[in-house]
Amino acid sequence: MATEVSLHTTPTRQKLASAALVAITAWIVPGLGHLLLRRWGRALGFFFACGGLALAGFALRGEIFSPHSDDPFGALGFIADLGSGIFYFVERMFETAGPDISRASGDYGTRFIAASGIVNLLGVIDALGIARGRRS
Amino acid sequence: MSLAQIHLSHFGAMVIFALLVSVAFACAGRRTIPTRIKYALWCFLLFLAIGVGIAWLMYPLSR
Repeated sequence: MATEVSLHTTPTRQKLASAALVAITAWIVPGLGHLLLRRWGRALGFFFACGGLALAGFALRGEIFSPHSDDPFGALGFIADLGSGIFYFVERMFETAGPDISRASGDYGTRFIAASGIVNLLGVIDALGIARGRRS
Repeated sequence: MSLAQIHLSHFGAMVIFALLVSVAFACAGRRTIPTRIKYALWCFLLFLAIGVGIAWLMYPLSR
């Protein structure tokens, strides 16, 4: 009986573990989760979309939210920004002048950076669905 | 290290945003490359049309 149980549970655990690995890699580097699943087109699309939004937001000098925010909107902004994975950490590393709040461009940049994170989370959900066999 | 700051018009920012988000939507929502291209184009045009439409609706309020 114990052998039967282990035979049934091991593939499920392996599948869950590989799905979790795909989700984590998809979050850290946009498109990498799809790349592991050999979905080249989607990998390229998500990397291009997330990277483009993050780069445009950074060049527009949008606000990159820190983990220590006083208001709830700042905390939500941080969660959205963090969604873009490695792009968030690279932006934090190279940000020196802070956001440009004197122009509309800076405000657009803030939205671009947040959108980059949200788009990558969409990619993570898509990659997770493929890894679990729920999507093709 | 500091990178050059860019300044975009409202329309320019909308076009770049629409293009990149449309690509992501098409990648997530469609399976084959031809349907993906069609869907991305459709999303992009809808983003622009709705954006310009809302701008025109708000125009009387700005005066």
